[in-house]
Amino acid sequence: MVQIRLPENSKIEKGNYYKDKTGSKNLRKVNIYRWDPSTGEKPRIDTYEVDMDNCPSKVLDILNKIKNEIDPSIAYRRSCAHGVCGSCAMNMDGKNGLACTKPHSEIKGDINIYPLPHLKVLKDLIGDLSTLYKQYESVEPWLKTSKKNDEKENLQSKKDRAKLDGLYECIMCACCSTSCPSYWWNGEKYLGPAVLLQAYRWIIDSRDEDRKARLKKVADELKLYRCHTIMNCTNACPKGLNPAKAIASIKKMLATS
Amino acid sequence: MKNDNPLSPHIQIYNWHISSLVSISHRITGIINFASLTLICFWVSYLVLGKDNYELIFIFLNSFIGKFLILAIVWSFSFQILSEIRHLFWDYGIGFELKTANITGSLVIVGSFTLTLIIYILGKNFLI
Repeated sequence: MVQIRLPENSKIEKGNYYKDKTGSKNLRKVNIYRWDPSTGEKPRIDTYEVDMDNCPSKVLDILNKIKNEIDPSIAYRRSCAHGVCGSCAMNMDGKNGLACTKPHSEIKGDINIYPLPHLKVLKDLIGDLSTLYKQYESVEPWLKTSKKNDEKENLQSKKDRAKLDGLYECIMCACCSTSCPSYWWNGEKYLGPAVLLQAYRWIIDSRDEDRKARLKKVADELKLYRCHTIMNCTNACPKGLNPAKAIASIKKMLATS
Repeated sequence: MKNDNPLSPHIQIYNWHISSLVSISHRITGIINFASLTLICFWVSYLVLGKDNYELIFIFLNSFIGKFLILAIVWSFSFQILSEIRHLFWDYGIGFELKTANITGSLVIVGSFTLTLIIYILGKNFLI
């Protein structure tokens, strides 16, 4: 069911204002979504004045600076800081992306940071992705082959290998799935762009022998065909991949097989 | 177990892109077209019912509201047709690159108004 408005317990209130204490003249206002499960209060937006003279270039650097110097209570996920692990996926300036690869110079005006959209919030900028992980598990993301090749590599031609380009690079950061309105409204049943791209990655792999069963499994009014080519996924992907195209490829395979 | 954690904001904070704008408009114009077919059915029925009845709908459609309504319906159909052509290419697997999709999306928006204008001019100058 499409519910445009946020439920009552999710309405956002105005939060604290942290004034700059460094005396810097190069300040930027950073608005951050906060919610603490231990207080029973509603979510709020805290505003921080950040000294940009002593801040490296990415949005994650701002968050680190706030956590280290202004407010240690803020919670967010991060690990590699190089756009490889996908931990710091969040909504910045109205668009999903990785905080570690998003330069704050690209954002005009105040910097607004929210968790990934339409997820149950665990704390502050951390959303609950367990549904997505379960869906990922459901497409059985591993190679299925009858070959018992313990001593030799399972080879594929250069051409077949090239089919995986633009798919294997996915880091499962969930930027695409949580940008998709279809996934917002039908997230329990629709698999979403991230999982469907992964499904396609195994469908198209020449070494996999389970293609027919994989296609059959995904060919479902809700699981697959809730994709209406809104293309928010492709717009959001921080790795420049194209989940919309992968989904269309699955649809095409089903229509032509 | 019921999860009472808040839901993170979604449509309230997410930026609109050309592609998402065209997508939602495609749906809305689809609904408008469906409804406007009813109007067209009324028009045809009144034609069958005779001259006096036809006069009635003639006066309504020639009023300002009527003309606006017709233009709106023409635009709605124009948009739907162009957007549907875009979807047909997508079904062939063509036009998914971000740049291409943005260009075709803009073409649909601009084209829908252009097509409306062309139909308006044709109707006004040549068909009556």
